[in-house]
Amino acid sequence: MSLDYVKFSGGFDKFMPKEYRDMVEHGPFGKKISVSQMGSFKEILEEHPMCAGCAMTLFIRLAIIAFPNPEDTITVGTAGCGRLAISQAAIPFVYGNYGDQNGVASGLTRGLRLRFGDKPKDVVVMAGDGGTADIGFQQVLHSWFRKERFTTIMLDNEVYGNTGGQESGMTNRGAVLKMAPLGKKFEKMDMLQMAKVAGCAYVATVVPNNPRRVESVIKKAVLIAREVGSTYIQAYTSCNIEYAIPTDKVMEDAKTVENDRYQFTEYVSDEAKQYLTERYGYKDYLPKAAAPAAAISNKA
Amino acid sequence: MYLVANINVEICASKSCKLCTQYCPEANTIQYSETMGTDRGFKYGTAYIAVDRCKGCALCVWVCDTMAKNNAIKMIMIDQLPLAAVTDNIRYEEKTTVAVLSNPMTVIGN
Repeated sequence: MSLDYVKFSGGFDKFMPKEYRDMVEHGPFGKKISVSQMGSFKEILEEHPMCAGCAMTLFIRLAIIAFPNPEDTITVGTAGCGRLAISQAAIPFVYGNYGDQNGVASGLTRGLRLRFGDKPKDVVVMAGDGGTADIGFQQVLHSWFRKERFTTIMLDNEVYGNTGGQESGMTNRGAVLKMAPLGKKFEKMDMLQMAKVAGCAYVATVVPNNPRRVESVIKKAVLIAREVGSTYIQAYTSCNIEYAIPTDKVMEDAKTVENDRYQFTEYVSDEAKQYLTERYGYKDYLPKAAAPAAAISNKA
Repeated sequence: MYLVANINVEICASKSCKLCTQYCPEANTIQYSETMGTDRGFKYGTAYIAVDRCKGCALCVWVCDTMAKNNAIKMIMIDQLPLAAVTDNIRYEEKTTVAVLSNPMTVIGN
C-alpha cells in the first residue's frame, strides 16, 4: 500500500521476471500517466484468462490506468468475469463472498483511515451487474446510505455471463438468453436513480468506446470518494459470448448501445463540485460568468 | 495455427493516431515505438503487436478501419508472419518502446 511495496529488495531484482522488472522501472507507479500514452509504458494489468475481444476487459484496463494513485489503491471484487482480470493486476485485490463486496469495502475503507489518517488510500469496488444489483444489492445500497467513502463500479454486461447466461436485474426487458429462453419479463433496474436517492456524491454512466471519458469519470469518482462520499459508475461492458456479438463488432455494439440506452450522464453533487474545484483545480464546475447586460438586452 | 493482428508500418507511421493502443482489450499487446517508424524514414513512430499476447479478436481492425479510417491492420496466420515482436524482446524507454523483431514461431515455440 505504498510505493515501497513494488520496489525490489536489495539484490533481488535480477531474479524477478522481466514483466515485473518492467513494471517497477517503467510502470505507472508514482507517475502521472494517461490513456494517450498507452502502448508506451508497462501496464499494471497482466495477461488474464478473459475471453478474446471482451469489452469488460478493455474497461478494466482503462480503469486501472485511470486510478489517480495506483500504488495507494485496493480493488475489491466478487464472483463474476471481471475478477479474472482485476486479480491479475499488481494492485492488492480483495475477493469476498458473492455480493459482500460493498460490505468488505466499507470495513476496509474505515480501517485504512484509522491506520493511515488523512493520507489517501483509495478503495475501488469493481463488480458485475449480478454482484451489484442482484445478490449484493442490499450491501451496495446500505453502503451508499451510510455515505461510505469509496467508489463502486458496476461492470454491466446485462447477463450472468460467467455461469451460462441467466438474466440479471440489469438485463433489458424482453431479452432472450440461454437460461432465459422466454425472455425477461421485467424492466432493467434503474440503479442510477437509486444511487442518487441513496445520496451518492457522484453518479455516471460510461461506455468503453471513449477511453478519455472513462479515464476522466474514474479519476473524478475516486477523488470525490476520498473525502465527500460514495461514488457510483455504471459501465456498459457487453458480453460478446452470451449476446453473440462478433469480437470485431464489440465497439460497434458499444456505440449503438451508447446512442440508445447508455448515453453519457454525469451527476455531481454541489459539495463534490466544490471539492473538485478547490482541491484539484477542476474548472468545469466553476460558476458560469453572467452574460453581459447589453447582450441580453440586444437579444430581447 | 491462429490469427493475430499485423500492422502495416508504412500506413501507421504516416498517421500515428494511436487509437488501436487505446482500444485493445489486452494490456501491453499493441505497443508503440517511435524508432520503428522514424528509423525507416517515416514521419512518425508506429504501433506494433506483441503477438504472444494477441488473442485474435480483431477489435483493432474495426477501430483502424472504421474509426481511424486508416486500414492499416490485417489479421494474419501467426506462421505467415515474417518477423514480429514478442514480449520478451520488447524494451521500455522514456515515452516509447523498442522491439527486436524475430520469427514468432521460433520464439513462442521455445
